[in-house]
Amino acid sequence: MKKTRIPAIVMLLLSSLASLGVRTFLSPCVHEDGSLAACHGAGQMLLGLGCVLAVLSLLCLFSSRAAFGAYLSAMPVCILGILTPGTIMNLCLMGTMRCHTVMQPAMILLFSGALLCALTGAVLSAGKKAL
Amino acid sequence: MIQAENVCMQYFRKTGAANFFYAVQPVSLQVQEDSLTVLMGRSGSGKTTLLNMLSGLQKPSSGSVLLGDTDLYSLRDRDLSRLRSEKIGVVPQGRSAVDTLTVMGNILLPEMLTGRPLPVSGAEGWMEKLGILNLKDAMPSQLSGGELRRMAIARALSQQPDVLFADEPTGDLDDENTHLVFRIFKAYAHEEHKAVFIVTHENDALQYADLVFRMDAGKITGPSPFPPSPA
Amino acid sequence: MNIFSLAFKNLTRKGRRTAVLILLTAFLSLAVFGGSVMILSLQSGLNSLEARLGADIILVPSQAQSKVSFQNMFLQGTTGAFYMDASALDKVMEVEGVEKAAPQTFLASLKADCCSIRIQVIGIDPEKDFTVQPWIARSLSRELGDMDVAVGCKVEADVGEIIRIYDMRCKVVARLEPTGTGLDTAVYCSMETMAELLRAAEEKGVSHKIESGDDVISAVYVKVRDGYDIDTVNSRLNGHIRKATAVRTRSMITGVSDSLAGVSRTITVLIAAVWVLAFIILLLSFALIVRERAREFAVFRLAGASVSMLGSMVMLESALCGLAGGLAGTGAAALVLFPFSRLIENALNLPYLMPGLTQVLLLGVLTVVLSVAVSALSSTMAAYRLSRVNPGTALREGN
Repeated sequence: MKKTRIPAIVMLLLSSLASLGVRTFLSPCVHEDGSLAACHGAGQMLLGLGCVLAVLSLLCLFSSRAAFGAYLSAMPVCILGILTPGTIMNLCLMGTMRCHTVMQPAMILLFSGALLCALTGAVLSAGKKAL
Repeated sequence: MIQAENVCMQYFRKTGAANFFYAVQPVSLQVQEDSLTVLMGRSGSGKTTLLNMLSGLQKPSSGSVLLGDTDLYSLRDRDLSRLRSEKIGVVPQGRSAVDTLTVMGNILLPEMLTGRPLPVSGAEGWMEKLGILNLKDAMPSQLSGGELRRMAIARALSQQPDVLFADEPTGDLDDENTHLVFRIFKAYAHEEHKAVFIVTHENDALQYADLVFRMDAGKITGPSPFPPSPA
Repeated sequence: MNIFSLAFKNLTRKGRRTAVLILLTAFLSLAVFGGSVMILSLQSGLNSLEARLGADIILVPSQAQSKVSFQNMFLQGTTGAFYMDASALDKVMEVEGVEKAAPQTFLASLKADCCSIRIQVIGIDPEKDFTVQPWIARSLSRELGDMDVAVGCKVEADVGEIIRIYDMRCKVVARLEPTGTGLDTAVYCSMETMAELLRAAEEKGVSHKIESGDDVISAVYVKVRDGYDIDTVNSRLNGHIRKATAVRTRSMITGVSDSLAGVSRTITVLIAAVWVLAFIILLLSFALIVRERAREFAVFRLAGASVSMLGSMVMLESALCGLAGGLAGTGAAALVLFPFSRLIENALNLPYLMPGLTQVLLLGVLTVVLSVAVSALSSTMAAYRLSRVNPGTALREGN
């Protein structure tokens, strides 16, 4: 039980960091005049994905019955999180801007870490099931 | 079996009248097979130093220690280590556990280190006799002082050494286990035709001894005549 | 069980001690790998800058005055626009000692056009250009056509995409290789396209062409003929062409290379400091550990381990810690350096071009090997001290 919880805890931390980060220190670009930058949409999408992942992590953490399914569901969410900035959704045109230098790499790292946790969690909880 | 010739241990002392003092004065003695030899003496009398010198653990200041025809201290470290592992068993004073190994791992350590076949069943036999078989998978940190002591004794016996040295082997043991250990040592000496040398200050040992030496301020006396064995 | 598994057991069973040793070596490797990658990146950035500034002299309008603002364009990709009459090119060619001269015209896009910041648009004459054109040719096999643009690697537009500059639709036909300089943030087009863009800019009321005619250029890149002194040609250019200043590119590069040398030196000193510190800490740690484990080692000796066997065990334990720490440190550095390379580049404000994969892998392997070697080395002293300890004495002292 304890072992299957560790990936869930790490995943919860990473997804919370992604959700909170994208609104604060990992935020997309902000125009001086307050207008929306091209990367704004990607930021919103990442916020949503981070929240969904956090909920799934909680499910993994507190329901041993649902853990395996929740870990599996977390995987496509993580992949979406990795692909959203720059691939699925456009960022700003200039590679030197904040969305490219900060938000994109940070989100790719966070969601990749979460994907790794989801994979580990799925393997551990599947093993548990088999026992 | 083990023959010490004029071995002594001198230490340099910076103050005082003499520059050197003897922890062990020059002594020649024999530890024979088929016998349990006991060395009695007060603490600080040099017993442990003598035991360490006889068992190949501490090079004497002068003199030689022969195991059969082999002069222990003329060997290279690697050869001496192997010889110790194969022919000499030592139960040191105090705690002698490797904390990272289980009790069984600790007991089989000499064979592990030299790559010999592990005498698992033999080890289990000694553990059973010493009443610690149930602890074989425990870690040393979970053991009491007495149990650790018996573990060290089981390790030395499992080696099936030609000569077994034990330094205050019953230090942490209750009366019952003290007698058990002395009985086991005596049986090992007589039934397996090996030499056992025990350093102790407990008079209980005398009733099991075949030969008794006494030590006082680095000077050895004896052997005394065989004391009567217990009925 | 052999020495290897014993060493491994010792490490795993003493988790906290092992973790501290691994952390220490990880810190060491992080500094070495991170620092080396940064130094290499700065060096290749400078090389790339030199290659892209393949001219000996650059002639810019006096208003640009402008070693500084011009240099910023190259290094940081700041936008700039300054103009002079295109006849300056002919005048340059008249000067003795000039082998080649290539014009470039600059234009800064409007913020609102396509993206959130201004983009530097650079018009080149593909036939005459000898600095940017060879670089463009590596990504585009034909010449830039009408309303075609080639974009620097940091302009996030794919080939085939249309970007709007002053409401003109420009087609991206190539994305250029990274140079690690400000050129990566620019958009390149032909002189014809530039003329149209300038017209469009004027229509939008953005006119940069102060007092110049219709036919304008922003800079002339000059290559000096072999055998001529660059400084002399530079002075001749300054004397011959009014309202323009000739600047030696070497002076720009020297400035950059000076600051780069400064940064590299700082990083090297930091790496050295971390190494010395970590080595001393490791040395002390192993000395303390051996002292703490004196009785355990005496038991090993008692059980038949030779001095060399124990020494190898200690060194193996430390080498394993070094291996784990080396991998962890290198990995951690890679996790920061590679994804955030653009952030680092922005912060450094210097040409910064990441080394290739092979070089990075080689550097990683070297760092791990170094970490293992340093750990093993720092434990040799402990192993030596161990060999001097008498097991009999150690067993007594431990009581």
